[in-house]
Amino acid sequence: MLWGWTGVSLVLFIPCKDHWGLHGRITVLWVTLFSFAGVAGNQGLAYTNSRKLVVNSSSVFTVRYFRTTAVHRDDVVTVNTPAFAESVTEGDVRWEKAVGDTVAEDEVVCEIETDKTSVQVPAPAAGVIEALLVPDGGKVEGGTPLFKLRKTGAAPAKAKPAAAPPPPAAPEPAAAAAPAAAAAPIPTTMPPVPPVSAQPMDSLGSSVVAPAAAPVAAPPGEAVPSKGARSEHRVKMNRMRQRIAQRLKEAQNTCAMLTTFNEIDMSNIREMRAQHKDPFLKKHNLKLGFMSAFVKAAAFALQDQPVVNAVIDDTTKEIVYRDYVDISVAVATPRGLVVPVVRNVENMNFADIERAIHELGEKARKNELAIEDMDGGTFTISNGGVFGSLFGTPIINPPQSAILGMHAIFDRPPFTGTCPALGKARPPAAVLESRLAAGARSCWPPACQGSGCCRQGAGRDGPRP
Amino acid sequence: MALPWALRSCLQRPCVLRSRRAPLGGAAGAGLILQSLSDDVYQNLAVEDWIHEQASLENRQVLFLWRNAPAVVVGRHQNPWQECDLGLLRQKGIKLARRRSGGGAVYHDLGNINLTFFTSRKRYERMDNLELVVRALRALSPRLDVRVTDRYDIVLGGRYKISGTAAKLGRTAAYHHCTLLCGADKSLLSAVLKSPYQGLRSNATASVPSAVRNLLEEDPALTCERLLEAVAEEYAARHHVDRHVTLINPADEAVLPGIHRKTKELQTWEWVYGKTPKFSVSTYFDLTYEDSVLQVKVDMEVKHGKIEVCNIDVPEQWLPPGLCQELAKSLTGSRFCPDEVTVLASAWLRTCPRDDELRHKWNLLCENVRMLM
Repeated sequence: MLWGWTGVSLVLFIPCKDHWGLHGRITVLWVTLFSFAGVAGNQGLAYTNSRKLVVNSSSVFTVRYFRTTAVHRDDVVTVNTPAFAESVTEGDVRWEKAVGDTVAEDEVVCEIETDKTSVQVPAPAAGVIEALLVPDGGKVEGGTPLFKLRKTGAAPAKAKPAAAPPPPAAPEPAAAAAPAAAAAPIPTTMPPVPPVSAQPMDSLGSSVVAPAAAPVAAPPGEAVPSKGARSEHRVKMNRMRQRIAQRLKEAQNTCAMLTTFNEIDMSNIREMRAQHKDPFLKKHNLKLGFMSAFVKAAAFALQDQPVVNAVIDDTTKEIVYRDYVDISVAVATPRGLVVPVVRNVENMNFADIERAIHELGEKARKNELAIEDMDGGTFTISNGGVFGSLFGTPIINPPQSAILGMHAIFDRPPFTGTCPALGKARPPAAVLESRLAAGARSCWPPACQGSGCCRQGAGRDGPRP
Repeated sequence: MALPWALRSCLQRPCVLRSRRAPLGGAAGAGLILQSLSDDVYQNLAVEDWIHEQASLENRQVLFLWRNAPAVVVGRHQNPWQECDLGLLRQKGIKLARRRSGGGAVYHDLGNINLTFFTSRKRYERMDNLELVVRALRALSPRLDVRVTDRYDIVLGGRYKISGTAAKLGRTAAYHHCTLLCGADKSLLSAVLKSPYQGLRSNATASVPSAVRNLLEEDPALTCERLLEAVAEEYAARHHVDRHVTLINPADEAVLPGIHRKTKELQTWEWVYGKTPKFSVSTYFDLTYEDSVLQVKVDMEVKHGKIEVCNIDVPEQWLPPGLCQELAKSLTGSRFCPDEVTVLASAWLRTCPRDDELRHKWNLLCENVRMLM
């Protein structure tokens, strides 16, 4: 180490290996001394690691940096396969961590599988995995070198031991940074460092905490909790979702959609259900839900207004009318929305419909839905009411021409002329392809409401479509 | 529930891995016998993890007795597609779990009992544990021809396997668990543990199939309940432990703090399927379409359960150009899971032109691809 004086500044030239393993790099520190006596005995002056030089304000040092390097004690360590127990000679390596991953002391880096036993191999110290010396699944014996670890001498930020290295611009665990910043006179935070690797940033994070704790003279009130952390978090979009969304959007671009909202008086259905649900369960071993009513009502309506059951063939510019009604029932699964189809609903009764829906539900639950279960459909019913939504605009399921969204049931006093009587209303939103259904628009809702099960309460003055 | 002092103190966790706290007092050889109230495989595996990580085992041992409703349990580094018939599992509603110890795939049902011996790493001794089980069996049925092999299996009559073993060695603690077939459904066992998937290449740990037999077939007195009792007795005698069996509810967060999180983690797709070592699928299937049979070649590489590379080769002109690539591209990046194919395929169907023949071909192709998973 060379010393030189320039004026009242002390210049230190320190040759050492830097983080990139290049020898001969020189750290240049300008240290302006006002009180040399303060140096040695000052507890505030500490090389926690070489990236940080913490200075106690009372010793009146100010420090400016030109370059920083890491201090290395024993930097790279090779970890060998542990000895096997009970006369086992070899095992297979299964890596848990990859090259470049930061690990804490005792964190599992790999497992060795020997004869039905899984032995964990922990990291002997905190650091970064520099190299894996055996491929995944490779065979090793006791003592075979396994991996190289570059020690850092400080634990990685506790908050995210397994996450990807945070971008250098992201704030440190804010609790650490904030009190440090609050303690104004102490330059405990570094000027922004070039984004070379996460490791110095991590050690930066935790070493800010330790020394900052000692010299902080700020009143306790200024100790700032981690509110206001403004970091970002990027998650790659699921490929499947991307493609489905793309497809749907393409299809929608050809559709001119209009939505019509209506209310349906559900009192009759509720009464019917209350009356029949027990005998129904006994006879058919199935629960009598609302879907069978909706599906059957829709079937009637579609037969009454066949244009809504039809579809436009863009290639031949024809309208294709179907004399069967296949209703797609939208079901949300963890994988995304799936719409299995109940076929030939026009010939089914309530029990048949409930049975079909139940079977499809079972298949979906067991992950057994086949593609042909989901293919086709001339009309879709989506039950948004289970989520409590009051109104909504479901999106038409291409290539169909219409979709019916059923929403929550709520109480509404109908006006019967003299005094209000309580009724239950359920607003369906019918979204129609207006290229087809422009004429049907005025007839569709009453066709649905007027069909067998959804009769309006007597005297109720409902909204006109 | 009111816990005996012994359980509470035994299950107290050391604060930090390197705690210098003195090990909990008590004579060397002190221990505990626990039995699970649940037959849910995930909950029971979570209890194993919990005890392994949280209990202080320096001077004590724990025996954990458990049984599961029908489930297949694969070893930590195995490939479920190579080990069992996933389609059959789904159809029968049999759960699939991945344990944290090594070894091969096993089928559990209520006719099979599981024994886990928890000790400190120093006291880890599999042969000792298995000899203990054999002694318990002989106590119930003195003329039973059972012995321990050098592969740590227990065999009946010299040729039928009635118990398989697996173990996990941590830094300071270890456990050894084994199964014991009392009255399991053997035909279902062999059907389920036979993989129908062709063309899989991987370096995952392979199972070694063996002929099995139930103890009940040999001696009707060897029911699960009696076996559990006998093993507990023998364990208590061997390790000078109170022979009282403590029942434990794996859903009780108060007794086992953190157990819900462990249970949930064991149920995630990322754990059960995603932890499969990298493998490749190189196979073909025959499509029968209108009196002609076409061969379709499929090549995929799967890492962390996700398809990284996908190639589907269909004879020319059978499908419009680019459609196969379309399917292959959609599959790349998706999970190697039939659900994903179903959703992708049906999404495409909703947007494709109204060509019944094309739709039919597409369905056929996708359905076959789905069956590879």
